[in-house]
Amino acid sequence: MKLAELQALFQSAILAGDETDAQLIEEILPKADESRETLLGVYVNAYTLRLTEYLDEDYPALRAYLGEKEFRALVKAYIAANPSKFRNARWFSNPMPEFMQESAKWRAKRRAIGIAQFERALTDAFDAADASAASLEALASFPPEEWPELAFSFHPSLHLLQVAKGTLDAYVAATAEDEETRKRLAQIRATACEGTEAAAVWRAEGDLSYRGLEDDERLALNEAIAGKSFGEICQLVAFQDESQPAVERLAQFLVNWFSEGLVAGVAKATCD
Amino acid sequence: MEPLPRLGYGLGLRPIYYEEILSTLPAVDWFEIISENYMIPGGRPLAMLERVRRDYPIVMHGVSMSLASTDPLDFDYLAELKALAERMEPAWISDHVAWTGVHGLNLHDLLPIPYTREALAHVVERIKRVQDFLKRRLVVENASTYIAFKGAEMTEWEFVAEMAERADCLLLLDVNNVFVASFNHGFDANVYIDAVPAGRVAQFHMAGHTNKGTHRIDTHDQPICEEVWKLYGRARRHCGDVSAMIERDDNFPPFAELLAELQRMRDIDASLSAQASLGEPPRSAA
Repeated sequence: MKLAELQALFQSAILAGDETDAQLIEEILPKADESRETLLGVYVNAYTLRLTEYLDEDYPALRAYLGEKEFRALVKAYIAANPSKFRNARWFSNPMPEFMQESAKWRAKRRAIGIAQFERALTDAFDAADASAASLEALASFPPEEWPELAFSFHPSLHLLQVAKGTLDAYVAATAEDEETRKRLAQIRATACEGTEAAAVWRAEGDLSYRGLEDDERLALNEAIAGKSFGEICQLVAFQDESQPAVERLAQFLVNWFSEGLVAGVAKATCD
Repeated sequence: MEPLPRLGYGLGLRPIYYEEILSTLPAVDWFEIISENYMIPGGRPLAMLERVRRDYPIVMHGVSMSLASTDPLDFDYLAELKALAERMEPAWISDHVAWTGVHGLNLHDLLPIPYTREALAHVVERIKRVQDFLKRRLVVENASTYIAFKGAEMTEWEFVAEMAERADCLLLLDVNNVFVASFNHGFDANVYIDAVPAGRVAQFHMAGHTNKGTHRIDTHDQPICEEVWKLYGRARRHCGDVSAMIERDDNFPPFAELLAELQRMRDIDASLSAQASLGEPPRSAA
């Protein structure tokens, strides 16, 4: 049998989880004290075990939220539907949220999908490209009258998410070390999932960070990421909290973004 | 091409040991990385590697070049590998006599090949092309295997020796893999070691494996067993002063245990050197 044919046969057996493929078994040299099926099974089993391990590592909160039985069913379905196209195993688990969204069985589990999106964002932020965070001093170096003209670039690890309501609470409960907090997961699971919430995930000084965003901050951050100047953002964003002047609230967001390490650069916007 | 440096005694760089390595700068001569783990945009893994690199030589060991695959060579992967090498300046780059997938898929395993003339010509041609692209000699490792094919036209050691000669590559002799394959396929591991072209061996791998009774699996999650230590002595006598390292990829022990295994390797080599200088016939030093 030609090498290409043998490799195609071998790969098919592994993907099918079938260590008994008669045509392939016929190509394997018999061993006196062990069946060829058992030996081929070393490769077949290793494939599933390895991919399962990648998913377990990348989605611990999703696993806790769904429970062992349901998570195992998800992992099995994901592996069957997504043979890896990646040289680097790091990327194998990435399409999990889309897989859940496109699957009839999983698409209704909005909070579970939210947790998957959130954990994927954490993984992506972990090894996103490096950049130095811009300091508050960099912002302060511009006189206030120039702030409306300022535009910002953000750390490459920054991800903005719009996920099902309760996702962040569920993540916190699922990954908590203390029993009391973990107990909340059952309550969250029993709560109806209505509406959405926003979150930012990023890496600051090497460590992962995240927090929830109110609607006005999410809108402002979205605009800032899109390259809008501070002045434009002030005009575009409709602020819900009318007790505080919009510009002051936006200025506070800006200071927070700088102090939390979200911003990588600040400069006066250029007119195209 | 210039001969590769003699690096001494190394360990696999694994995230669980980052802090200990950086805070204690242990007496390890060099570290081997899994290349793919650092083929990422940025973040902590690359930052840690750069810090380790300041104090130690690095070797890049890959697991997905898929040299024996009948798919086309993946030049996007090779370009990424080359970029990492330009950044980290490893002493050399290695990968395996194996394939990891066909039809654009990756099974994330080192899969076996039949030792045929066809497979040999295929692997040789690909090693040459990779070497041309990377502009350096590749160091190629014998993989552990659990099945052998009826269609084989030569032994594994004949395949590896001829591959190295024809491709003009270097070899990473994984002593544990030789032992595992010898057990699984019923050949004499000593015959394999003695047939390895010593002048082409740039590095040894040592590792532990799992004994399933009828077969052994290359799990890298156990201490090195006595049979493999014994085989190491033979490999050392046969190949001389080549760089050596220990792989551990699961069931991680305290770092001191790996240092103790590394010391055992040094002690074996010192004993062999002493015997050689006294003109004694070499004995089993393990």
